[in-house]
Amino acid sequence: MANIVQSTDLTKRRRGLSRRLPTRGPSNIILGIIAIVWLVPTVSLLVISLRPEADFGVSGWWKALLAPSSLTFSNYRVLFDQGFVAGGLLDSLMTSIEITVPATLLVVLFACFAGHSLVFGRWRGRDVVFLIVVGLMVVPVQVALIPVVQFYHELGNLFGLNPYGTIPGVIIFHVAFGLPFGIFLMRNFMSGIPKDLLEAARMEGAGEWKVFYRIVLPLALPALASLAIFQFIWVWNDLLVALVFLGGNAHTPLTVFLYDQNHELQANYWIISTGAIVSVIVPLIVFFSFQRYFVRGVLAGAVK
Amino acid sequence: MASVVLRNLTKQYSGNNAPSLDMLNLEIADGEFVCLVGPSGCGKTTALRMIAGLEDVTSGEIEIGGRIVNDLPSRDRDIALVFQSYALYPHLTVADNMSFGLKLRKVPKAEIEQAVQSAAKILDLVDLLKRKPAQLSGGQRQRVALGRALVRDPAVFLMDEPLSNLDAKLRVQTRAEIAQLHHRLQATMLYVTHDQVEAMTMADRIAVINLGVLEQYGTPRDLYNFPNNQFVAGFIGSPSMNFVSMRINRDVERVHLTGMSADSNIKVTLTDEQSDILRKSDGSDIVVGVRPEHLIEGSIDHAGFSAVAKVEVIEFLGNDEHIHATSDETDLVAILNAHSSVARGDSITLSAPLDTVHFFDPTSGLRLS
Amino acid sequence: MSASAINANRRVGGHRSWIRQHAVSLAFLAPAAIWLLFIVVYPTIDTVRLSLFNESATRFLGLTNYKTVFSTDTILTAFRNNVIWVLIFPFFVTTFGLIFAVLTERIRWATAFKTLIVMPIVFSTTASALVWATMLDNSPQIGAVNAAVLTVSDWFNPPGAYPVSTTAGQTVADLVGSNSRAEKNSRIVSISSARAGGMINIGLEDVSPTTLTLLKAQDAVKPQPMSGAITGVVWRAFSPSDPTNKTDILPGELGLPLIRLSLVNSQGSTVATTTTTTSGQYKFSNVGAGSFFVELVSSNFSSGFTGISWLGGSSLTPVSGLGQTAQALLSVPLADMAMIITYLWIWAGFAMVLIGAGLASLNREVLEAARIDGAKEWQVFRRVTVPMLAPVLAVVFVTMIINVLKVFDIVLNMASGSSVNATPTLAVEIYNDGFTGGVHSGVSSAIAVILFLLVLPAMIMNLKRIKGV
Repeated sequence: MANIVQSTDLTKRRRGLSRRLPTRGPSNIILGIIAIVWLVPTVSLLVISLRPEADFGVSGWWKALLAPSSLTFSNYRVLFDQGFVAGGLLDSLMTSIEITVPATLLVVLFACFAGHSLVFGRWRGRDVVFLIVVGLMVVPVQVALIPVVQFYHELGNLFGLNPYGTIPGVIIFHVAFGLPFGIFLMRNFMSGIPKDLLEAARMEGAGEWKVFYRIVLPLALPALASLAIFQFIWVWNDLLVALVFLGGNAHTPLTVFLYDQNHELQANYWIISTGAIVSVIVPLIVFFSFQRYFVRGVLAGAVK
Repeated sequence: MASVVLRNLTKQYSGNNAPSLDMLNLEIADGEFVCLVGPSGCGKTTALRMIAGLEDVTSGEIEIGGRIVNDLPSRDRDIALVFQSYALYPHLTVADNMSFGLKLRKVPKAEIEQAVQSAAKILDLVDLLKRKPAQLSGGQRQRVALGRALVRDPAVFLMDEPLSNLDAKLRVQTRAEIAQLHHRLQATMLYVTHDQVEAMTMADRIAVINLGVLEQYGTPRDLYNFPNNQFVAGFIGSPSMNFVSMRINRDVERVHLTGMSADSNIKVTLTDEQSDILRKSDGSDIVVGVRPEHLIEGSIDHAGFSAVAKVEVIEFLGNDEHIHATSDETDLVAILNAHSSVARGDSITLSAPLDTVHFFDPTSGLRLS
Repeated sequence: MSASAINANRRVGGHRSWIRQHAVSLAFLAPAAIWLLFIVVYPTIDTVRLSLFNESATRFLGLTNYKTVFSTDTILTAFRNNVIWVLIFPFFVTTFGLIFAVLTERIRWATAFKTLIVMPIVFSTTASALVWATMLDNSPQIGAVNAAVLTVSDWFNPPGAYPVSTTAGQTVADLVGSNSRAEKNSRIVSISSARAGGMINIGLEDVSPTTLTLLKAQDAVKPQPMSGAITGVVWRAFSPSDPTNKTDILPGELGLPLIRLSLVNSQGSTVATTTTTTSGQYKFSNVGAGSFFVELVSSNFSSGFTGISWLGGSSLTPVSGLGQTAQALLSVPLADMAMIITYLWIWAGFAMVLIGAGLASLNREVLEAARIDGAKEWQVFRRVTVPMLAPVLAVVFVTMIINVLKVFDIVLNMASGSSVNATPTLAVEIYNDGFTGGVHSGVSSAIAVILFLLVLPAMIMNLKRIKGV
C-alpha cells in the first residue's frame, strides 16, 4: 500500500516537473523540423520507386507529391515479373534470405550454448574466455578476410569442399563475426538468472541439457530476441562479406544487387530505388515488430 | 532571515480528483524551526517543493520575507533545500559542491573560500573537501548536503526528509546536530518528515498534515497534550495512543463510560462536571484515548480509565517493557516498568488518571474537552 | 588433510579428469569456440604474417609492405580520410544524440520522434548511401538538397533573363555583338554615346533561341527618336540570311525583352534605369544635358546559384603551392562531408537512444538542487546534466570512433567520378588492394594490421569497462 502511494507520488512529481520546463513550444518546433528532415530521404526513396521511369531527372520527386495519381507500381511489377533470374531483384531477395536466416539461427544457437557454459559452468578460466570474447567484439571484419579466403581454398584442397564463392561460405563468416556480441549479450543476460533455479532443477535430477532447454533457454528469451534481431539486420545489410566471399557467384544478396546496379555505366535509378525499398522493407518489419528488443540491443551495445 | 507565510496554498494535479494539498495556511516566524509531518503521500513534500519553486502553485500564495514568490524561479527565492537523496553533484568535489551556488552568483573567490571553510568546520568536513561524493559514507554525504545549504546563507532552509537514508543510530546523532545548527544560526527552517519523533525532538512548531489538509499546527507540547483530533492524537507519540470505542451510560446517577459489550471490562469514571456535560449532550458513543505511557498496572482510587486485560505479548526494552494486552477484544498497549512482575497470560488491571484521558467525537474525530 | 593437500591431490588427476569433470559444460562452449578460433582468431594472427610477405604470400619481405603503405598516395589519402571521419563524425553524432535526447524529454510525441530517428539504423548502409547520393545530386531536378538551396538562393540572388553559364566556360564577352563591349564585372556597355533626342542600338550574339521563345520575343523594331529622351533597341544580331551583317537590324531578327538597362553619364555614374519591351525597345525620358552611354547591367547575365557539387571532386580546403602529397593530405573533400552527413542520419538515433537512457536514469533531484543553487536552465544543462552524462557520452563517442574507423559501405556506394579517388578510407583500401583483380595479400594485410592497431585502444577501453562492471 505504502509503495503504491509512493509511486503515484513520484509520477505526479514527474508530471509537475515537465510542466515547469520553460521550452516546450520551441522544442516542439525544433523537433518537428528535425523529424521532417529525417523523414525526407526515406520518403524520397519511396516516391522515386513509385514514379514512372521517364520522370526521373526531368522533374524532382517532390513534384509527384502534388500529383499522387501519377504514382504507379509499374517499377515493382517489371522487376517482379522477371522472376527468379540470376542477378534479378527476386533472386537477390531469395539469396538475402538464404544467407540471413541460417546465419542468424546459428549465431543465436551457439551464443546461447556458450553463454550457458560461461555462466553456469564451473571450470576455471571462464572469465578469461569471456574477456577474450569482449576483445573480439571490436575486431574489424577486414582483418580476417584474406586468411579466411585462403582457409576456404585450403578446405577445398583438402576435402574437396571449397566454401569460397558459395552461400555457406558467406554464412560461416557471418556466424563467426556475430558470435562475440552474441556471447557477450547472452552471458550478461544469463548471469542475471538466479543460480538457485538451476540448482533446484539439478537436484531434481535434470541433466545439463535439460537444465539448458527447460530453464535457461526460456528465461533467456528476451535477450535471445534482441540478439536475433541484430544479427538478422547486420547480415541482411552486409555488403563487404558478400562482395568478398561470393566471388563470381551469379546469385547475390540485395546489397550486392544495389551495389552492382549503382556501378553500372548507366545506373538505372528506377531499379536502384525499387530494389532499395525491397531491401529496406524486411528489416523495417523486423524493427517495428520487435522495437522493444531492438532498443534493448542498442543499449547493450549492439553496434558494428 | 525571513518569515514564510502560506495562504490557501493548493495543489491540484490534473487527472486527480482530490487536491494533493488543500488550502494550506501556515505562518512560520523568522528564525523558527517548523516541521511538516504526516504519513507518506499526505502532501507535505508537495508543499515544500512548491515553496522551493519546484512545483507550480495551483492557487494560493507563498510569501517569503514579505515578498510573494509564486512566480519567481527557485534561484530567486533565496532558499536552500536539502534533498532526501542529498542530490550532490557527483562530478564535483565536496568543496565544489558547496561552492557551486556561490560561483553561479559570482561571489568573490575569497568570500567563497571563507564560506566553504567555515561550513566545513561546523560540519566536520574539513578533511573531506577534496573528495567526490562517491567516496563518502551516507552520513558524510548528508553533512555535505547540509553544508551546501549552509554556505549559501539563505533566508530559509528547506529540508525534505534529510535523515531518512541514514541508519537509526546516525539518525539520532544527526538529529541533534541539526537542532544545534538551528540554535547556532537562528535561521528559519522548514523540515519535512514522516517521522513524528524527528518532528517532536527538533521543531519549535509542528504542522500535522493528512490527505492534503492541515490537521493541527502548534508546539510539540500542545500537540502531545491537546491534540485537535483523533488523527493527530494517534500520529504523535510512540507507541500510538490506545483508542477505545465506549458507550455513554446515562441511566445511572453519575454518567460513566463502559465498553461496547454487555459485560465490559473497560470502564471510565468521570468527574461531576464532565458527567453533567455528557448528560446534557446526545449521542450514545464516544472514543476514549489513552497513551501507553500513562497506563499503570493496578487500580487507582480516583476518577479515570481502567481496564481488566489479558497480557498477550511482552516486549522487553531494558528500562521498561511494552505490554500488549486485550480487553473486550480491544488491543491495549501499555509501557510499564521493566521490574513489574507481569507475565504472559496474566490478567491485569490497567488504569490511567482522568487528566491523561482524551475524549473524541466518534463521527468527526474531534477532541472533546 | 589440509586444503592445499586436497588441491594437490586433485591436480594429480591432471587434465584428463579436469576435462571429464567439465566435459558437458565445455561441449556447450565448443561450437562457438571452434568457430571463433578458425574464422576470427587464427585469421587475425595470420593477417600479421601475410603482411610481412609478398602479394601472393610466397616470399618473406619484412616491413616492405608497411613502407609501401606509408609511401603510396592513395593509401595516405585513405589515412587522411579516416582522420577526417574520426575528428568530425563522433563529435557531431554525440552532439546530435544529446540534443535529440534532451529535447525529446519535453514533448508529448517523443516515442514517435524516437522511432523516426532510430529507423535509419536498420537500413543497409548501401541503401542509405544510394538514397543520399540522390538527395545530394547536382541537378535540381534530382537532388532535393540542391533544389532547396536553389530555391532559397534564387530568393536573394535571382538569375538574370540571359544567364551565362560560367561553369560551362561561357563568359559575358561571348555575347558582345555590334556597338558594345564587355566591361569588368560582367557588364556590357554601348560603344557609342548619345545626347537627349539621340538613339543607341545594341546588338548581342550567342543568345539561345529557346530563351527568346520562353520570353515571347518579337521582331526588333528601331524606335523613333524623341526629343529630351534617349531611345533605342537591344536585339539579337544574327540573321541566317545575312550572318555577316551584325550592325543593321535585319528582318526576322528578334528584340531582346526584359533586358535591364542603366543610363550612364560621362563620369561613369548611373542616372536612370529601365527595361526593354518584348520587341527590345527602350526609352530614357527627360534626359539632362551631356552625353550618355547605355549599360546592360550584370544581373541580366547572372546564372544565379547552380547548386553544390556535393559528391564531385571539390575540396573544402583548396591548398596550393605545396607538393602533390602534402596537398592531398591537407585537403578535405566535400564528398567526405556528404558521407558524414549521411552517416549522421543513420547513427544519430543510436546516440539518442543511449544518451536518452542515461538521461532517464539521472537523479532528478540533483538537477533541482542546481536550480535552487541559482543555475539557469542552460547552466543546469552545461554544468550538471552534461557532466553527469559524461560516462554515457564517452561510450557513444568511443563506439562511434570504432565504427567510423571501419567505414566502408558508404564510401563504396556514394563516391562516384572524381570523388572515388578523394574519399577512400583504410577499409576501402583493404578491399581495393586485396580483392579487386584477384587476391593480393601483402599490402592489403599490412593496412588491415594497421586498422587493427587503431581499434586496439578502444578494445582495451572496452575491456577495462567490462572488467569493472
